[in-house]
Amino acid sequence: MVLAVTGPASRWRRALLAWRRSPVSFRAGAALLLVHAIVAATGPFWAPYGLSQMGTGAPLAGMSWSHPFGVDQLGRDIFSRVVHGGHIVLLLSLSGTFLGLVVGAVIGLLSGYVRGWIDEALQRVLEALISIPFLVLALIAIAAAGPELSGNPLLVILVVALVYAPRIARIARAAALDIVTRDFVTVARLRGESAWSVMRRELLPNASGVLLVEFALRAGYAPVLIGSLGFLGFGMRPPTPEWGLMISENRALIIVSPITVLGPGLTLASLVVGLNLFTEGLARILGRTVRRADK
Amino acid sequence: MSEGPPLVEVQGLDLAYRHRDDWLRVLHGVSFTIGQGETFGLVGESGCGKSTVAYQLLGYRRPNARVEGGKVLFQGRDMLRLSRPELDSLRGNRVALVPQNPTTALSPGMRVGEQIAEVLALHGPPDHGIAAAGRTVELFHLVGLPAPERIGRRYPHQLSGGQQQRVAIAMALACDPALVVLDEPTTGLDVTTQEQILELLRSLRRRLGMSMLYVTHDLGVLAEIADRIGVMYAGHMVEVAPTSVLFGAPRHPYARGLLASLPRIEETGPRGRPLRGLLRRDDLPAGCPFQPRCDDAEPSCAISAQRLEPAGPGHEVACQRWRRLDAAAIETARDGTRPVTPLGEAPVLAVKGVDLRYDAAAWWGRWFAASTPPVVSGLDFAVAAGETFALVGESGSGKSTIARAISGMIAPATGSILFQGEKLPGLVRARTTEQRRRIQYIFQNPDASLNPRARAGKIIARPLELFGAASGASVAAGVARALDEVRLDAGFAARYPDQLSGGERQRVAIARALIAEPTLLLCDEILSALDVSVQASIIELLRRLRRELRLTLLFISHDLAVVRHLADRVGVLYRGRLMEVGRVDDIFAPPFHPYTHELLMAVPGARKEAGRAALGPAPSGAPGKGCVFAGRCPVQAGPQCENETPPWRTAESGLKIRCHIPLNELGQRPPTPNREVLSP
Repeated sequence: MVLAVTGPASRWRRALLAWRRSPVSFRAGAALLLVHAIVAATGPFWAPYGLSQMGTGAPLAGMSWSHPFGVDQLGRDIFSRVVHGGHIVLLLSLSGTFLGLVVGAVIGLLSGYVRGWIDEALQRVLEALISIPFLVLALIAIAAAGPELSGNPLLVILVVALVYAPRIARIARAAALDIVTRDFVTVARLRGESAWSVMRRELLPNASGVLLVEFALRAGYAPVLIGSLGFLGFGMRPPTPEWGLMISENRALIIVSPITVLGPGLTLASLVVGLNLFTEGLARILGRTVRRADK
Repeated sequence: MSEGPPLVEVQGLDLAYRHRDDWLRVLHGVSFTIGQGETFGLVGESGCGKSTVAYQLLGYRRPNARVEGGKVLFQGRDMLRLSRPELDSLRGNRVALVPQNPTTALSPGMRVGEQIAEVLALHGPPDHGIAAAGRTVELFHLVGLPAPERIGRRYPHQLSGGQQQRVAIAMALACDPALVVLDEPTTGLDVTTQEQILELLRSLRRRLGMSMLYVTHDLGVLAEIADRIGVMYAGHMVEVAPTSVLFGAPRHPYARGLLASLPRIEETGPRGRPLRGLLRRDDLPAGCPFQPRCDDAEPSCAISAQRLEPAGPGHEVACQRWRRLDAAAIETARDGTRPVTPLGEAPVLAVKGVDLRYDAAAWWGRWFAASTPPVVSGLDFAVAAGETFALVGESGSGKSTIARAISGMIAPATGSILFQGEKLPGLVRARTTEQRRRIQYIFQNPDASLNPRARAGKIIARPLELFGAASGASVAAGVARALDEVRLDAGFAARYPDQLSGGERQRVAIARALIAEPTLLLCDEILSALDVSVQASIIELLRRLRRELRLTLLFISHDLAVVRHLADRVGVLYRGRLMEVGRVDDIFAPPFHPYTHELLMAVPGARKEAGRAALGPAPSGAPGKGCVFAGRCPVQAGPQCENETPPWRTAESGLKIRCHIPLNELGQRPPTPNREVLSP
């Protein structure tokens, strides 16, 4: 019922109105994400210690006001390292997921529009990829890339994209199958538009709601995937303050000083919870139900 | 019609819907009565509140609705103040609903017999001596379903639309209700199916004596079934009158406009001005709600509220000027003659011996599946430049399939389609850019044919970008010109489709086709999703465009009245075969093909011949080797109809009829379908 009144003032008022009507989970998630984003953006400037500064306190000193997350074996302040690592985790997860979204959406939408044997063949390949568990697929890809690329952030991004793209492609294809039955797609076909143009102009705008939810959902799990890779030693290399890697480094000390593992672990958890709440709220706003991510 | 107290009495009903944080009044003091055994029709454009009123008789309202005043008395009890258990015992039992769309009203996963048994289990059969199963069969028999003993085992998707509606009617009648509320029960059905349903309702009323409230936007339907009619506009009851009085001497300007907007089969006779403009809920004056669209309004109309006042026996009207708007003031129509298009020129479109069939859907299925019988077979016709050729027929007759073949969505199995003398490649991807540009397709439903995520300006601009490599400035100019051609303001370019009304959307779809500067426009049922008053304005638009741009139109419709108004020549299609082809005036005059005759008789408002039964339902399954209409034809000549393909017979006027019966014996009874027959 909203008519074409789109002055800048009314746009702000509408945004405010939408915020007031949004579900609580959406607001809580958005608040958590905002905190993470601010810390990621500004953290390196106000973190109490440098990212690999040693001798900040007695090693394994435990929790204190000056070292909220304790001090590791080398005397590095864990809290400072978590703050320094924020932007790495966020950037890796978001860009990896985004790349997966772009590739997956293009493959899925085109496949759903073109149909025929191309579609069938693509679907079998995607199904094969999906049948391999997340982590195993990621490890295979890293092993195949060879040791010289190991620890490269680009590799991590590509691996996240590789894991997500087939799953997103399935969703995009399902959305496309519904959209192509509508007459405006037939109109475009009769006009002689190329498949690429139909996808970009007709399919993508109408699948954007589904894809947005899918992106947020996948992005919520990406930090866990990256963390797992780091924990297993296949992700980022020390001394990068990537949270999964930090959990791995300090796991031997979990009995002596549990906070050194709990600190990065809880931070990671709060990011994942924030992203999930945000997604759930977003999906509710867009009127869609969320299928829980397949782990 | 009725003696004693009325069955239903609605008194001053006020109702509001929650809109944002406000309450929006949608019904203003609506009052009417329905007598015992009477059929009351409620008519109006979409959004006038007629369905809202109807659902109050069932004591049902949406959660965001609030009754602000008034009473709805059913047998003396106020439906609005009954408790939930009291309502439950009445609804489906004493008051029943036949919904608009039986496809969604019947549960798809349940056999239809069980669905009726469910109603009976809840309320108990009206006659306690009979078992539920027996009552179900009896009901199926009552509503004229084939094989009543067995049809209960079918699922809804195994029934045709007309059969589904019969099941919905059977369900409503299960407990022998005193009142049946029908909400647009024939909208979306074919003309012939609609006629069968109306015939059924008439006979049911005769036999069972129940009262009916019939809600529709189609006045023509009410002429067939209602005893009295209430005309609603923007939540106000503006006129209540017996049916013959309303059709003969309507008093309210809105009722007159509705009548004049009805496309009529017969073009002669007086004809008022059709309605203009649209119902704008956000812009209603304090006085008469119709004032902004009324041609006879005076300034005081906008201020003073209008009340229903008597205008004759049983006739009430809410217009302060009705006395001065004498019936004689209805102006005579512009003459309906159209320029006769010369047929000598080379045709723009020629369809020669075309068979069309749908293949198995999957690409690999084609290797295994046996070929299906053709949907359209042996099709031959030509359309001259500047001519409007109409294809008419029931749904399933293959009309749209033909348009799809010409547009290149499906390739003909045999035969060829010539466009401007050249053979068109079967599929659109094999055609040249020029051919794609010159043939444009307008779809039935503008909701589906416009991308909801694109602004109107972008939608219209796309063909220009694709076909005419134009710079930014001229694209904008082209869009503005196209919008102007369909009489939309340039500001509409910034709107999204959901910010447009149905008629405006269809105008945008037409503008998108026009901007490509086509030679041939394929119009596939482009009016059937629109309100009557909007239809009239789009017909006017098409006539003007055809004249100014010299367009050739292939116009597909099941609405004979619209075809009569727009077409130069007509092809009547039955089960994929042309039955009759000729100039429009010859089609609507004798001799008639038996099928054309039946189609004309099925139009609401057509005069019924005594003892003539409605056309039976269309058969399913592959047609025999003879005439496809054999078996359903009321004047079948003999065994040759079943066994031999009928010959084409040509009359002096050039009219061609495909029938075994000689022309001079065919349908000499003039059907003169005419909506004025009811006038006193």
